[in-house]
Amino acid sequence: MMSLVTRIPRVLLFLLAGLIQVGLIAAIVYDRARILREGREVALQTRPVDPRDFLRGDYVVLSYDISSVPAGPLTNTPVAYRGAPLYVKLRPKPDGFYEAVSVHQDAVPVTGDEILIRGRTVYGDRCGTASGFFCDRLQLNYGIEKYFVPQGEGREIESARNEGKVSVVVAVTREGRAAIKRLLMDGKPVYDEPLY
Amino acid sequence: MSERAYRQRLEADIARWEADGIIGASAATAIRGTLRPIEQGISVATVVAIVGGLLIGAAFLAFIAANWTEIARQLRFGLLLAGIAGAYLIGAWADRTGRPYIADLCAAIGCIIFGAAIALVGQMYHLGEDFAAGILLLSAGSLAAAVLTSSRGALAVALVTAILWSGSRVFETSGIHLQFVALWLIAALLAVAWNSPMARRLVALAAVAWWVETALAVEFARLADPLFAAATGFGLLLGTGLLLASLRSPAWHAFGLTLSNYGAFALALLLAFAVALHGDILRGRGLPVVAVAVAALAPVLALVAAALARGGGAALAGIAIALALGVIYVLVRMPQAEEPWLLYALALAAMICLVVSGMVDEERMRVAAGWVGLAALIAAITWAVHGSLLRRAVFLAAAGLVAVVLATLLGRLWPKERMR
Repeated sequence: MMSLVTRIPRVLLFLLAGLIQVGLIAAIVYDRARILREGREVALQTRPVDPRDFLRGDYVVLSYDISSVPAGPLTNTPVAYRGAPLYVKLRPKPDGFYEAVSVHQDAVPVTGDEILIRGRTVYGDRCGTASGFFCDRLQLNYGIEKYFVPQGEGREIESARNEGKVSVVVAVTREGRAAIKRLLMDGKPVYDEPLY
Repeated sequence: MSERAYRQRLEADIARWEADGIIGASAATAIRGTLRPIEQGISVATVVAIVGGLLIGAAFLAFIAANWTEIARQLRFGLLLAGIAGAYLIGAWADRTGRPYIADLCAAIGCIIFGAAIALVGQMYHLGEDFAAGILLLSAGSLAAAVLTSSRGALAVALVTAILWSGSRVFETSGIHLQFVALWLIAALLAVAWNSPMARRLVALAAVAWWVETALAVEFARLADPLFAAATGFGLLLGTGLLLASLRSPAWHAFGLTLSNYGAFALALLLAFAVALHGDILRGRGLPVVAVAVAALAPVLALVAAALARGGGAALAGIAIALALGVIYVLVRMPQAEEPWLLYALALAAMICLVVSGMVDEERMRVAAGWVGLAALIAAITWAVHGSLLRRAVFLAAAGLVAVVLATLLGRLWPKERMR
């Protein structure tokens, strides 16, 4: 490997190193654009957040009705490993917002309007003997808990969020990966995310 | 001994041998002729250029931050990519024009901008918070840059971030993070391939840091006593290092010595720490057979090194490891035992073995590790003894007497050894 590297002109090696890092950054952005492009739209209602976790810098902390879910049949079952992904089955309510139906350790089939979203446990996976079992309630993160805003605009969204006026439309792929697509206040879009 | 110090010593010796008539002028020239040119150090101009480069990099990032909201997202993204590409382009130019330190620095700056870009892209595109995944990406990208450009700075970024990645996974999963080892092995192979002192030190330091994290993971998962786990790790570093140092390849030999020296320092300090904590916060957690078996491997590795190198230094280091691990084993098993004088004596003996081992192998860093361990142990024993001060005085006096007797014996044996 090293002998192969030493045979290539060093100028090219420097350029290749830069290209790899530029490629990795571009891949992150492309992957997120793919979620927005291909994912199904799901409307989520936000909920008030503990005041101590409010605006940090230039972003708003978002918590959803689906962030805290009952573990259901998972309660007291062993955790495969800490931080392992969990799948939450969502279903639309009559008001258009989605609600959590059930939570699973593996991807399960969905029907009709149902959709699976993938999350990671923040709290609720350290119960039972040796703290290796699921608790009866789980706090999950879906990777959509932060929304960065221009400086000074966060307070308004925070206040609206705490009054229950903020909702979010996320794109969810078939694998359950999610990205924020739109932020709404009183049902009106205030931020619409372009692909790039 | 560093190459520069060795050259100075050799030059002084050659001059003395010539003056004493031991060698002639032609022999002196022949000896000097066998030495390869010494690598030039970093010049003042290069240092100033490095500072200038760092300031320009900081100015670039400050400019983007100052105009964050005014700059369109696509332009911000483009600026970040241009920053990375620019750093490597300047690096390629510096390398081509014979400025290796600047080229190295540019690759390191490229890696730092790459890290900043990961964080800023996460912010710009509202990407989910997965700190460990972001850090892993930075580490892997920096390691790739190190492999391609031979940049020590990029390797430093890769190893520091790999340690952060491993630490965050340990806290997240409460388990031992073995994936780090794969990344570390690549870095270790690079250090050997480059035969670079700085790379060797970085890799050895990363190994020590990972064993500290592993000890924390052992504690979180309640697998065994964390102090014993850390001591096992440091003992393994020392033993493995000595084994590698017994190889004929100069690069592997140098790498092994560095690894063993860092292991020796870490083990010496941990031993003193364990003695100081004894009776206070050690909780006597059980030690599974597997943990003891892995620990037993450490002195065995040193003894194998001694057999391969046919030297007493590695064997003495093996005894030092066995004594240190044995003392920590008993201390964690019986945390509340009253003033274990025998264990204190064995701990001191372990450090004396380490000092003598370093002297036999003429490895100054190992000698220094032993001395540091001895000093720390005396302080730890003074701290740990809660009972009679008279007993402590008697113990220290007895230990001192034994050391003096030992010194006398060694003093009589040493000249005979040298005469052979």
